[in-house]
Amino acid sequence: MVYSKLKQWLSHGISEFGYIVILLLESLYWIVLGRFKSQAVSIRAIFFYMVQIGINALPIISVLSLTIGVMLAMQGIHTLRVLGAESKVILGLVLSVTREFAPLIIGIVVAGRSGSALTAKIGTMQVSQEIDALRVIGINPVRYLVSPVLVAVFLMLPALTFYADVLGILGGILYSSTELNHSVQVYILEALDLLSLDDVLHGLWKSMVFAVIITLVGVSNGFMVQGGAEEVGTATTRSVVFAITYIIIADMIFTFYLSHE
Amino acid sequence: MTPPIISVENLVTYYGRHQVLKGVSLAVEQGEILVIMGGSGSGKSTLLRHLLGLHAVTSGKIEIFGKNIQTLDWREEQEFRRNIGVSFQGGALFTSMTVGENVRLPLQEHSRLDEQTIAIMSRMKLEMVDLSESEDLMPSELSGGMIKRAALARAIVMDPKLLFFDEPSAGLDPVVAAELDQMILELRDAMRMTMVVVTHDLDSAFQIADKIAVLDQGEILQIGSVEMIKQSKHPRVQALLQRQIRTTQFDPDEYLERLMSGSGRK
Amino acid sequence: MECQVSQQQDDIVIIHVKGEVDLCTSPELRALILQYLKKSKSVLVELSAVAYIDSSGIASLVEGYQLSRQHQLTFALISVNKTVASVLKLAKLDKVFQIYPSLYDWQQHHSSSQ
Repeated sequence: MVYSKLKQWLSHGISEFGYIVILLLESLYWIVLGRFKSQAVSIRAIFFYMVQIGINALPIISVLSLTIGVMLAMQGIHTLRVLGAESKVILGLVLSVTREFAPLIIGIVVAGRSGSALTAKIGTMQVSQEIDALRVIGINPVRYLVSPVLVAVFLMLPALTFYADVLGILGGILYSSTELNHSVQVYILEALDLLSLDDVLHGLWKSMVFAVIITLVGVSNGFMVQGGAEEVGTATTRSVVFAITYIIIADMIFTFYLSHE
Repeated sequence: MTPPIISVENLVTYYGRHQVLKGVSLAVEQGEILVIMGGSGSGKSTLLRHLLGLHAVTSGKIEIFGKNIQTLDWREEQEFRRNIGVSFQGGALFTSMTVGENVRLPLQEHSRLDEQTIAIMSRMKLEMVDLSESEDLMPSELSGGMIKRAALARAIVMDPKLLFFDEPSAGLDPVVAAELDQMILELRDAMRMTMVVVTHDLDSAFQIADKIAVLDQGEILQIGSVEMIKQSKHPRVQALLQRQIRTTQFDPDEYLERLMSGSGRK
Repeated sequence: MECQVSQQQDDIVIIHVKGEVDLCTSPELRALILQYLKKSKSVLVELSAVAYIDSSGIASLVEGYQLSRQHQLTFALISVNKTVASVLKLAKLDKVFQIYPSLYDWQQHHSSSQ
């Protein structure tokens, strides 16, 4: 009984993974070759999604990155005080924000905001036969709905991550300078000194992987909706949970390899 | 004699392990209106999806405009798409676009016409379906009948040679439904369109059909002219016609059965 | 689709359309109509040999008619056959265009109105 359930679950998982891979290949195909088939991926649509996914998320991302920076500084000072090494707080802050927290928090926010919206949009279009209508008109749904989002998320996520790097570190510095009675300028100089290109890139690479995960999980869950409107709700929840889970797993794998180099 | 526009031979499909279509064959000639009739679960929606090339078949052959639609290359498929129009049951208008943008979209995707020409063409189609006032409305602002008409306008904006219409009268009041039937006939006469209409509405079917195919449980029970179907001796065709004419027919045994064991017919 | 253009006296141009006017060919008809409306006072479109006309063809005629009204020119359809007439009727345009059974009828009407 358990065995057959497991088998069913596994085969389901594998077919879903296969579907995601096909979606990725197909959307890349249209991005690269669409223009030669007079089915170019619309630049306007890419900008539209960039604004929706990136620019419109700036307020929430600002608040979150500042808060995380402050929190990391609090925790850092508290922990380092045990070792009598509070002065190292900026090092800890810079490393953890750029390598870990900025990409992760951006990934989670975008998965929650935009990944779910993508699932809901495509799922609703599936239910109302709009996807069929696209295909019947001769518009490839992947080219029309997936490719522009993939490009937009892929460009926006590293940009947002960099923005979160800056604000996160700034938040940490502001807190540390009041807590440890140092001037902000000194800490900023120290942070710039400690900041290495490698650490920043490490975070940006991660965010690109997250971008692909968020888009494909969001889109595939939307396309897999069959039946009625209530299933769109289920798919949306599923999409967010899975996207965040995959992001954290990918993060761990990424960190493992990059810290063992 | 010209070859048929649509020719389906021995079409079989499965959904999982359930056989949905059990060897369907039919042909539609140029300028003809074929009505596919059947109750829910008869397989008529599946058959329509196959004709639109939205599903792969298990076995059998579908030829439209003389070509097997299962094996079209990319260019042939685009040509096929240009020559067909589809009006979906719920309209399937793109909710993020206005009615006008919906109607213009196929032209913008498929033709290199001047924007001005595209605008005139789409407005002409909106005029035909009496929606000229609604060009700038969003689909969510339309009534059920208006959505159907907007979907029809989008389906015919490219002057397709072949028009598919899924449940034209579903959810409409009788007057609007009759108007839509009238419009279907006018379109066929003026544009020489060939049409496939899927419906469960008997009045509408008898009104517009040149040929009716009665589908039940994945099989075509009978295919023929309106007169032939009306006078059919086939018991299941009769049953289907009867059930729909006397909608309030009551069978106590069946009712009890349904209450006891749930509806197993769905 | 084939179009032949004949020039009459008194600055009248007749465009004879033959064959199928569809999405692929109507831009050519449109270009011809708009081009001659810039040069001549009267443009007539002769439609007796049209085997098929779709709405892009009709839209081209509408554009021509609109342009002629803006510049007080004459634009009329002559020898409209059944095929074209039924499409015009469906588009509710049969009462919009100036339609004459033949060139002769148009000339009669034109000279009497002047």
